This record gives sequence, C-alpha cells and structure tokens, in this order.
Amino acid sequence: MYKLAGEERFLLWAVCSIQLQVLCDKSGEKLLLLAEGLLKKHIASHSMHEPEALMVYISLLEQQSKYNDALEVLSGNLGSLLVIEVDKLRIQGRLLARARDYAAAVDVYKKILELSPDDWECFLQYLGCLFEDDSMWKYFDDTDQIHPTKNIECKFSHLTEEMFDSRISSASELVQKLQRDTENSNLRGPHLAEIEIEKRKFLYGKKNDSELLKSLLQYFLKFGHLACYASDVEAFLQVLPPHKMAEFVGMLVENADSVSASATTVLGQTTTILKVQELTGNVFELPLGEIEASAVKLAKLYCQNLPLSKDLDPQESMFGEELLSLISNMLVQLYWRTRDFCYLAEAIMVLELGLSIRGHVWQYKILLLHIYSYIGALPLAFERYKALDVKNILTETVSHHILCQMLESPMWVDLNNLLQDYLKFMDDHLKESADLTFLAYRHRNYSKVIEFVLFKQRLQQSNQYEAARVEASLLQLKQNADSIEEEERVLENLKSGVQLVELSNEMGSRTLRFNEDMQTRPWWTPCPEKNYLLGSFEDFSYCPKENVNKDREENVKRSIQRKSLLPRMVYLSIQCSATALKESLETKGSGGDLKTCEELKSLLEEYTKTLGSSFSDAVEMITEISQGARTFETLGSDLVDWLNFAVFWNAWSLSSQEHWHVLNLLFERLILDRIKSMGSSQMNSCYSDVQVLVQIITEPLAWHSLVIQACTRSSLPSGKKKKKAQHSDHLPSSPMSQAIKDSIHSLCSTVQEVSNWLLNQINNPEDDQVERFLTTLKRNEGPGQVLGVLESFIASSEESEVGSRIFESLKTWSKADSARKTVTAQQRVLREFHQICGSKRKLLEKLKQQMSHV
Amino acid sequence: MTTIRRFSCNDLLRFTSVNLDHLTETFNMSFYMTYLARWPDYFHVAEAPGNRVMGYIMGKVEGQGESWHGQQLAKKLMNLLEDVSDKIDKAYFVDLFVRASNTPAIKMYEKLGYIIYRRVLRYYSGEEDGLDMRKALSRDVEKKSVIPLKRPITPDELEYD
Repeated sequence: MYKLAGEERFLLWAVCSIQLQVLCDKSGEKLLLLAEGLLKKHIASHSMHEPEALMVYISLLEQQSKYNDALEVLSGNLGSLLVIEVDKLRIQGRLLARARDYAAAVDVYKKILELSPDDWECFLQYLGCLFEDDSMWKYFDDTDQIHPTKNIECKFSHLTEEMFDSRISSASELVQKLQRDTENSNLRGPHLAEIEIEKRKFLYGKKNDSELLKSLLQYFLKFGHLACYASDVEAFLQVLPPHKMAEFVGMLVENADSVSASATTVLGQTTTILKVQELTGNVFELPLGEIEASAVKLAKLYCQNLPLSKDLDPQESMFGEELLSLISNMLVQLYWRTRDFCYLAEAIMVLELGLSIRGHVWQYKILLLHIYSYIGALPLAFERYKALDVKNILTETVSHHILCQMLESPMWVDLNNLLQDYLKFMDDHLKESADLTFLAYRHRNYSKVIEFVLFKQRLQQSNQYEAARVEASLLQLKQNADSIEEEERVLENLKSGVQLVELSNEMGSRTLRFNEDMQTRPWWTPCPEKNYLLGSFEDFSYCPKENVNKDREENVKRSIQRKSLLPRMVYLSIQCSATALKESLETKGSGGDLKTCEELKSLLEEYTKTLGSSFSDAVEMITEISQGARTFETLGSDLVDWLNFAVFWNAWSLSSQEHWHVLNLLFERLILDRIKSMGSSQMNSCYSDVQVLVQIITEPLAWHSLVIQACTRSSLPSGKKKKKAQHSDHLPSSPMSQAIKDSIHSLCSTVQEVSNWLLNQINNPEDDQVERFLTTLKRNEGPGQVLGVLESFIASSEESEVGSRIFESLKTWSKADSARKTVTAQQRVLREFHQICGSKRKLLEKLKQQMSHV
Repeated sequence: MTTIRRFSCNDLLRFTSVNLDHLTETFNMSFYMTYLARWPDYFHVAEAPGNRVMGYIMGKVEGQGESWHGQQLAKKLMNLLEDVSDKIDKAYFVDLFVRASNTPAIKMYEKLGYIIYRRVLRYYSGEEDGLDMRKALSRDVEKKSVIPLKRPITPDELEYD
C-alpha cells in the first residue's frame, strides 16, 4: 500500500508492526533498524506530517537506545510538529537523561518546573539528573508496572561528598525559588520537594534525621489538615527507622493545633496523625488501653463534627468521614489482639451507622465486606460488594475483594454470576480489541496502536482471568458431582479437561499479570491469600503492603497449574473406575485401562510437583497423616489440594484396599477433628473452619463420590444380564467391593457428623443469636465504649444541630437490625451448606443400596 | 503536586479509587478506548506522588464545539482542556453533560464558569435527565453559544452523538 500510494499512514502501520514484534518477542532488534531506515527514507522524500508519526519515530530511536539521534530529530524541523511546549521539553529531558547528558537534562527539567512548579514526576527526574542517577528510567521501560513502587531507589555511590553537597545545594536553591514564586498559591510540590531533599541527604548518610523530621513537621503544619498529607509523605516515612517513626508521631501530636485552629483543621490534623500511625505500623506497638482510648476519642470527635456536614449534599463526602474507617481499623486490631468478638461486632456497628448516614462511602463497604466474610455472613458481604457497583474494567481490579471468599463458599449461584460477568467482560473486550486498535490507526494515533495491543496482552495474561476460567469449569463439576451422568455431560463440554491440562503445562513458562488493585484492601488482608486475623498477633511483624504482594506471584501460578489438572483427573478417575470393580469381580484383576491409568499417574506427578513434593513423598505424607504419625497441620493451607491428591491416587490404584483405607481415614481425621475443635462455637469465631469443610465436601469428597459412582455403575446389571446377576447375589464380594462399601459407610457417617453440627447451629433460634450478639456490645468497661459514645450522641442529637437528613439517618439506624441481618446472613450460609451435605448423604445412601447387591 | 499527563490504557487499571466513588461512572471499555483512539490529546490524568491517580478528564472535538465528560484539581484539568480547545482547535465553546441530580458537580462547573444551557430528558441510563452545561471560549465574542434554551430537549434532538 505504501509503495502504491506513498501515504505516511501505511508506512507507520509497518513500523508499528515491527515495534510490536520486537516488544512482544523480546528479540529481533535488527528489525528496528529496518523500521528506522524506512522512516528515514520517507522523511527524506516526503518529510513527516503527523505529530504521532514523530512520536513513533522518536520511540523507535529510543527503543534502540539512540538517544542523541532522537534529540537531533526533536530539535530539527520535525520537532515543530509537537505544539505543546511542555510535552516537547519532557521528551527532551528524558532523552538527555538517558543519553547521560545530565547537565543539559537538568536545565530542561528546571525549565519545566518553572512552567509547572507542581509537577512531582518532573521534580524527581530533575533530581535524578542532578545526581546522575539513572535508576528511575528502568520503571519507564517496564511496561509491567501498573503500581510502581513508592520507594524509588537512589544511587549515590558514584558521587564524592563534595559533588553531592554541591548538587544538593543547587536543588535546595531551585526549591526555594519555586516556593517563593508560588507563595500565594496552595501548591504542595515545592514544599514536598524540601522533604525529598532531606531524604536524599539522609540516604547519603548525612545523619540529618532531625532535619528530615523537621521538614516532615513543617509540611504537616502547612498541609497536615488535608486528606492528602499521609499519602504524600508515605514514601518518606518508609526510610525512617522504627524509633524515629515513633518520635515523629510524637512530634505531630505535640504540634497539632487544637487551640486556635478551626474545627475542620483540628479534624483534618487528627485524622492525619492516625493515618500516619497506621502507615508506619506504629499503631501495632501501642498498648491496648491506648488504642481503645484513641478509638473513643475519635468517636467523640466524629460526633462533635457531624454538624459541619449539615448542609452538604448527600452525594458529597462529609467532614470526618475517614474517622469511622480509622476507628474500625483500631477495633479490628483490638479484636485480633484480644480475640474478644465484641470489638468486631462494634466495628460492624460503627461502619453500618456510617453507611446509614451516608450510603455512598465505598471505603466503609469494603471494610464491611471483609469483616462479614471473616465471620461467615457471606450474603451480607456480597451485598456490600454489589453496592460498590463494580462493573466493566473494575471487575478486573476490584473483584479480588470478594472472589476468594465466594470460591470457598456454598453460595454457588452468586459465585457463578460473579464469574460469568467477569469472564464475559474480559472475553468481550478481547474480541473487540482489534477493532479498537484499528480505530486508533485510522485516526493516525499510532502510539495508541502499540499501547492497545500491549494492553490486550496484559488482560489476556491476567492471573485472575486464567484462574476464573479454571474455577468456572470446576464450579460446574462441583455442582453436578452428585450425578455421574450430569458430570459426564459437563466433562464432555470441557473436552474431558484436555485443554485445561495444556494450560497447566504452559503455565510454567507463561507470563502472568497481576492487574488487581490491592491498595484498597484493609490492613489485615493485604492480598486475598493472607488474612492476619487467622493467625496470632504475637507472630506478626508489620510489613508494607507492596512487599506482601511480591510473594504471591509464584504461589498463584502453582495454584492455577494445579487446579487446571483437576477436570482431567476427574475424567480419568471415572474412566479408571468404570471397569475396575467389574473386572475385580470377574477376574480379580487390578482393573482400569492401562493408558488411562498411566496418564492419571503422570498428572498425579505433575500435581504433587506443584505442591512442592515428589509423588512418592506425597504418598508417604498422606499415609502418615492417616495413621496419625503426622498432624494435618503439616499440610498447611494446601489441605484441600492434598486431599484431592489422595482421592485421585486412590482412583489410580483402586484394587488396593489399603489405599481406600488411607483415604477413609484421611477424610475422617480431617473432618471429624475439625468438627471437634469447632465444638459448640459460634460462626463468628470458627467460620474459617466451616470454609475448609465446605471445600473438603464439595471437592475431594465429591470427586471421591464420583469414583464410587463410576465403580457401582459398572457393577449394576444391565438388560439380559439382569437375571444372571441375581444369581450372583450369592457370590462372595471381592476385596474391592468390600473396600467401596466400607468407604461409602465411612463417608456417610462423616458427612452425617457435619450435617449434625450444622443442624445444631441452624436450630439455634435466630432471636437468641441476635440477643447474644447484642449482649456482647453491652459493657461498662473494655469493648463497647465506642458504640456507647455513638449511641449517646444519637440519643441526644437535635435536628437543628445536624440537619434533617443526618438526624433522620441517626434516628432510623438500629443496632438490632444490623445484628439481625448479620445473624440471618450467617444462617443462610449454614443452610446452603447443610443442603449440599444433604445431597451428598442422599447420594451415599443410594450408593449403599446399589452396593448391597454386589 | 500534580503531574498531568496523557491518559494511557494502563491507567484504566489504576483509577479504582476514583471510579469507586459513586459519582464517577465506569463505562464499558470501548467508550474509554474510543476516546483514547480518536482524541488522545483530550484525555489526561492527574497523578500525585507515589503515582496515585487523583482524577482524569476525557474530552472530544465535535464540529466546532467540544463535549466534555468528566478542588483545585478539577479546575486544572478543565483549564488544560479549555486551553487545548481554545488555542489549538479554535472552538467556540466547551460543553459537558452532567446528571441532573449531581448537585456537587453542577456547583463545581458553575464555579468554573459553566452555565446550564439546556436539559436533555432521559439522557442517562435509568431515565435520569442530563444537564448540558456550556462555557464560551474566546472565539465566541458575543457569547451566543451560551444563551440558555427555553425548553428541555430529548436525546434524539442532540446535534452530535
């Protein structure tokens, strides 16, 4: 097309294709030379007419590290295509920095800062050039970075002290000038820059920690009343040693203006101090009494300041809104440290009251959904999640808040809707992405062409997307496990699990992307796989959120790899079982088609690899646990996966009575021990155990019941053989048939125990449970004080003080209603689980009947 | 300290805390990608230190006017868009649509010099009315583009998509 028409756009299509090929393949850099050559030739004969074409040309040269060539192009005639001066300067600064012409780059960045004194990224780039430090450019190239680290590395080792002092002094001079020039505005940049300079000195080893703290304090005095203070200074706080962080918090408390300042300033500063305490982890070192007193103080502050929001529109954020989040964070911490449920109940009440006053506060909804999830009130957690109105791209970044809990729950209908909505969004976008890319091309926005293609790749490689596809298949299998015929239909639609095995095989070498936004998660669950409340406070050591997330990538990959194998293993187990019993009755053979068994063995080996074990070690492990020689704590959080292994290991070697016996013991031990430890505890304190039971019964136990169904189906007489089979009632059963009968019997009683426990919980009258919930909140000392403050305020508040809208919300909010909704939600989860257990028992009874003829 | 730069696709994965606010609609992907594909210079994001997305603004050019979708931050973003349309595209006016119930947004735009030009009945999904707010630019010397209409209109009467 280009040769025919000579139009720039056809050439740019070719150039973009080359750039994409090199970016995606990470090879073929010689192709970039070709692309460069094509563009040079075109410019020589036709010049260049599109600003976007120029951007592509520059990026092409940058990709080849030809920074000086790019600078030449930018400063030549073609540079006039870029009309916005600041944009041009930004590119120039970047190219000079990457070409290591730091002196020239510094001048350019100074110019940009004089035009835009508040441009933080530009200031950091200016400092990087001043110190001849190229660390920040690795983030520029790294298109994997969605949430770049807040802590930018600083390299100084190449600078002598004299050089460092002179450069830092230049930086200070510039910052002073910017502060003077922007004196009458509220720009924060030039003041935050002062802290950055002190931080650099500190990192160099100047022992200026007092000056650093002082600069942080100065910034607090100017901007501490604003909501942005804590997040502005977060990166600086992370460089301080713990004792200095504590000292800084003390300084803030001392200097907070409580006398002459306005109510909003006091409110803002108090909120800021608390947020700084949270960020530094300092809040975990405070004694319980101090945290409790602090929470009560905040509750009073919240009430005192409600009148400030009297005339605000209900859609606007209210003054002091953040206080309720901070209070509930403290209450959750108090619960964790004391295990007194009252604190958790209080946190629920505080947040529900907050939502009653203003229903649009998404932060409250997220905190609540996590608390409700923890105590097993999952329908209510799901309701709070739905109230966030998560749709379209937010399903990729936000659904992690609820997905994990739903996957481990008996709420299959809601889970299915959640998964299908998400998968539909992703599939639809991936289908339409090509058209949108072409749209960018048609409008000559070539840089967007490359961006769109890379973005599509990012979504395709999403770990959540891969996991959801696998989980959607598994959900279908779980839902239909009580009928082998239905299960076989599902497996047929899943191509007998073959494609998922291919996915599992590729997973090792695949890149997975982590697009979820974990920043909005509560402190106690920084990622879906971690919940500090499940462990002991004594074992905890504070770790910034971003460090926690680094470790999850490998674990997530292995989990997807492992789960992808399950459908195929279910299929193969059914195949192995289909003939095993019959053959054992007729020929006393080991049963099972050889090829099928070999494939199942191979998958079992892959499966155990993902658990960090060899096949033989895995067999030894489960055997020892079944015998009580090892505790099931050895299995850690992969307990369900190990049970799955045991089920399919048994299916692979069905003729071994010993294997059946090991499996029976495993189920008995793991389930009955758990029921024993739960005892008569309330759901509030043992939901995590219930979650494990749900998973055991709906997965490994379900797969095992399919194995048994396949065995018994093959033993059933069909057509003309019926009469003959009736005579066989008198034949002694084979060892295998006895093993199956024993297994059915064992499973029946185990599931019955679970049902009994559930029934005990369900039969507890709801009114009694609500009363118990409310009673925990009625205390004179210790827990309940925060709620006490809020309730006194509600009782004494006047409409003239808080306005009619807030007054109405306060008066209509009911603690009893919140308690009842919580209890009802917990009961619903138990009832759904009970129903599932009921179906399993029915199936097992039917199998018992069928086997009685064998 | 705000860095204002062109919005990129990856910002769709970073604007969670902005879009969880109930006043911000999360549109389907083709909506955002169409703006990015056709008018990338009118789609900017404002970042705070630590690369936190604080806000973003989406604009497009239609005919001789401009439609807008989308503190101090709002003012900066709007000023940027008004500058681009005034100086580069020589537009007569800027206009935007806002839900009739969104009082905080309406007040903010009025402070930035926008007036309510007309009401568009059942403009939004859920049958809510939209308000078309306008601000005249330097080219519209006589301020003809911002004389309010006397009656509401329906979406099919809109001149542009």
